[in-house]
Amino acid sequence: MKLFAIKESAGMALRSIRSNLGRSLLTTLGVLIGAGSLIALTALGNGASKAVEESLQSLGANLLIVYSGQPRGTALVRRNTSNIVPTLSENDLEAIRELGYVTMAAPESSLNAQAKYENRNASITIIGTDHNYPLVRNYYPVYGEFFSESDVDTRRAVVVLGSKAAADLIGPDIDPIGERVRVNGQPFTVVGVMQSKGNDTTDNQAFVPISTFLRSLSGGSKYAAINVQAADMAIMREAQSAIEAELLRLHGLPSMDAADFYIANQLDVLGAAQGTAGTFTLLLGGIAAISLIVGGIGIMNIMLVSVTERTREIGVRMALGAKPGDVLLQFLVEAVILSVSGGVLGIAAGVAAAWAFSRFGGMAVAVSADAVLLAFMFSLVTGLFFGGYPAFRASRLDPIEALRYE
Amino acid sequence: MDQPVIDLRDIKRHYIMGPTTVRAVDGVTLSIVTGEFVSIIGPSGSGKSSLMNIIGCLDTPTEGSYHINGETVQGLSRGRLAEIRNREIGFVFQSFNLLPRLSALENVELPLVYAGIAARQRREQAMEMLAKVGLDGREKHLPAELSGGQRQRVAIARALASRPSVLLADEPTGALDQKTGVEIIEMFHTLNAEGSTIVLVTHDMNIARQARRVVRVLDGLVVSDGPAEDAA
Repeated sequence: MKLFAIKESAGMALRSIRSNLGRSLLTTLGVLIGAGSLIALTALGNGASKAVEESLQSLGANLLIVYSGQPRGTALVRRNTSNIVPTLSENDLEAIRELGYVTMAAPESSLNAQAKYENRNASITIIGTDHNYPLVRNYYPVYGEFFSESDVDTRRAVVVLGSKAAADLIGPDIDPIGERVRVNGQPFTVVGVMQSKGNDTTDNQAFVPISTFLRSLSGGSKYAAINVQAADMAIMREAQSAIEAELLRLHGLPSMDAADFYIANQLDVLGAAQGTAGTFTLLLGGIAAISLIVGGIGIMNIMLVSVTERTREIGVRMALGAKPGDVLLQFLVEAVILSVSGGVLGIAAGVAAAWAFSRFGGMAVAVSADAVLLAFMFSLVTGLFFGGYPAFRASRLDPIEALRYE
Repeated sequence: MDQPVIDLRDIKRHYIMGPTTVRAVDGVTLSIVTGEFVSIIGPSGSGKSSLMNIIGCLDTPTEGSYHINGETVQGLSRGRLAEIRNREIGFVFQSFNLLPRLSALENVELPLVYAGIAARQRREQAMEMLAKVGLDGREKHLPAELSGGQRQRVAIARALASRPSVLLADEPTGALDQKTGVEIIEMFHTLNAEGSTIVLVTHDMNIARQARRVVRVLDGLVVSDGPAEDAA
């Protein structure tokens, strides 16, 4: 019976919408824009969030980086370690490797250097590290090999070039393996070329054994940073605490406040970045929700006008046996059809806009099923809420007054 | 004697307008039995419209008892009143009151929609009623595409559609020319002859005399009630 009434109401509502098509479309536009912007803007927000997450994941799984010195500002991960005064020793590295939570660790120091191949020059970042680096940073050679443990032990003058460094110095026509390049005047033999990370800063690096680096390029014996891979994502906090305690002990320091090192935990970085992106998404979603409410007010306005215009019709329907509930349902269903069709069109428009953002704007977008569901539910609730009052007014009309209405 | 279809006992309808009380209906007792053709006549302000609203279950009396087809009307909710209107009363209005966006057939179907009758059966019943008022072939026409007389016949078909106990007509010829008005009255005679109970509310004695019984209302009271031949 109730289902029957809804079906009848939908029939009446569709007829009424059709007979006022222009006005109905304009009314729908408000909800359409609201739902569309909800989809498109949250897609942008989610896309940004995903992009940040992916770029951090690509650093390497379960990564902790111990840096010399104190953190600067809020950027925990430092792209460039060349201007850090090194405080981490080989002894520290060995101690970290002994800790239970740690799978492996690789030292890192760097400097900006001039590289030369025949008569070509390039400014590149030279990173001194050991054979564990590819595994710890999830970053591998595509051609040739990374240098080995024995290369590190024997301080061989070998280099693995980043993809851009290789392209700039040697070019595509010559097999780089076995070629000799000079770094700050010192000769090195190329043994490998790294995969491209699609990031010029990373791709313009070159890797040499840390022992060679310290001996012939930088001098000194300490490392700027130690990259640590924790055994599991779940124990990264414990790993961080264990490393902190061990290094404080080794350095003879009382607490982290006085420490000459700090640890960038991938979780913290991820959390901070996701927090920012989450706020961004929420903000954009909020703006969209407001426009959806504005659309709802538009629907309420037009439904109130419609109820007034159709007062006599309501009177006739009541005289013929329409109960207050029938009249309420008729106008409510009409408002819901308007707002939901606006919502559905808006979802389509939003998905199309998100696609256009990514296709023509090169932006990272991610349309989430949640956002689609939210937009749909929101438009439904908008119709029920803002259609409710006009429908209630219609149902409360006195049939005698309504029949007399001119 | 048959049980009356409409049974009004000492019906009063008072409106409170600020400090004064308007006694629109002030103690009317009236019974109408099945198959009667009754006119209610009175000048404007006599209370006939208020009485008609009560008979039509659009309004409830302030005092008195009203039974329609044996069912008590006073004290019912708006929803129950709507059900009674749907089942017992067929309204015919002066200005037809067809819904302009609906076809003739859809207009006739309306009371059946609210009675909860399924689409197919509704359609059949409505077609039958339109044929009965001589409008077969005009089912798809919108009211605006029909003449005044045709519109009123659609309205009559609509009033008959749910097979109500009483056809309640309020100045049904008021918006029609003389000739068409006569045709509509003819139709009432035919329907009455076929067994319909008709209550016709008018201010026009010439129309009122067409009924078999005339009830005169003045100042909220019935002042005369008798066969049409006796009405002056």
